[in-house]
Amino acid sequence: MTAFGGFEMPLAYPTGTVAEHLACRRDAAIFDVSHLGTVRLSGPGALDALQATLTNDLGKIAPGRAQYTHLLNADDASVTDDCIVWWVAPERFDLMPNASNTARVRAAVGGTDVTEERAVLAVQGPGARDRLGRVCADAASVGRFRVEALGWNGHPLVVAGTGYTGEDGVEIAVPVAGAEALWGALCEAGVVPAGLGARDTLRLEAGLPLHGQDLGPGITPLQAGLGWVIGWKKGPFRGRAPLEAERDRGPTRRLRGIRSTTRRPLRAGDAVEQHGRSLGVLTSGGYSPLLELGIGLGLLEGTHEDGEAVEVRTRGGLVAGTVVTPPFVALPSER
Amino acid sequence: MHVPEDLRYTNDHEWARPEGAAIRIGITDYAQDALGDIVFVQLPEVGATVQAAEGLGEVESTKSVSDLYAPVSGEVVEVNAELADRPQLLNEDPYGEGWICVVRPSDPGSLAALLSPEAYRDLIAG
Repeated sequence: MTAFGGFEMPLAYPTGTVAEHLACRRDAAIFDVSHLGTVRLSGPGALDALQATLTNDLGKIAPGRAQYTHLLNADDASVTDDCIVWWVAPERFDLMPNASNTARVRAAVGGTDVTEERAVLAVQGPGARDRLGRVCADAASVGRFRVEALGWNGHPLVVAGTGYTGEDGVEIAVPVAGAEALWGALCEAGVVPAGLGARDTLRLEAGLPLHGQDLGPGITPLQAGLGWVIGWKKGPFRGRAPLEAERDRGPTRRLRGIRSTTRRPLRAGDAVEQHGRSLGVLTSGGYSPLLELGIGLGLLEGTHEDGEAVEVRTRGGLVAGTVVTPPFVALPSER
Repeated sequence: MHVPEDLRYTNDHEWARPEGAAIRIGITDYAQDALGDIVFVQLPEVGATVQAAEGLGEVESTKSVSDLYAPVSGEVVEVNAELADRPQLLNEDPYGEGWICVVRPSDPGSLAALLSPEAYRDLIAG
């Protein structure tokens, strides 16, 4: 167990991080992600409040859908939080910030922090829908980036076709009173419990940024290669002016993937070099159980093509690597 | 945690097994459990001279990096090359297939300075 954002969370179950990771890539894994926040906005002003604050454009979606979006720092457009909006009903939005940012997000957009009322279970993997279907068929049929309010054994659920593994699957918000039963039923159905360790290796292999490492103070969405999260065609939002200025002059560094040539895990903080010249540092690093190689994400100065050779200064010395565009492994959309 | 009776131990959670004039070395069951899934092992080189309680190599799990320390001073005479492709052997069989290296101690009596199984059990219970 480890302390994480005010929660006690398992790094791994007895299965171990690698087996949990592989269960998610090959079949189905379940994660207790109750540490994510839920900030609920309701009423006629909710849509306008979100549109005027967050980067993405809710005009691109509709009620019953989910959207990834950013809250920016007004002064330098760095990412204060990245979150998912569940547009549950025309005038009800459940915003899901990172654990440590819930209060900050609520202060920016308003609404009510209902985090303590519910648990959130993420069921992910190519077999996730099949196994979930044996427990709750309605939940298993919620499509990718769709959101539906359902019921299970007398408990109201909100189910979204979202996740943080790169796999197909859903995230289920369930009242605390029903969470343990739902977790147990999913384990009975053969879904493998997975901890924070596997959550990190899976998201890294999928090339998904982690707030506090790949996103955060000093790092803008454009530097992170997430320009698609910006609704340029809508009106003002927090941080728009400094972000426009960066767009016009072009970001000086960009988040790129680095694939090592050895098994040694890359680590956040490792320097990335090319011909003896420093390009930047890794913001995330780890080990890919599928590739059996070290992988990482790093903010590199200048422009670097896929396949360019670099060196990573690890604890054990310089290791040869290659610049790649994540994901590091083939995800469902490419299989 | 499994603590075999026929081994000696260090405060850094290595084990040492006398084999004739040499000592086989690995990490304990307690160590592998605490580290989590081991995905990389940096082995010493055959022929290298090592000093007791100094660096012998490194073990990296999905979550962290840890140094390996030599239980005794001496010369590395054999390493477990199998670990290059199968570092998970440290998790699966820490006292058997997951051995790390064999050292010929410079002082044949140096094993006596290491912890007995009882003392090591007390250490990990503490």
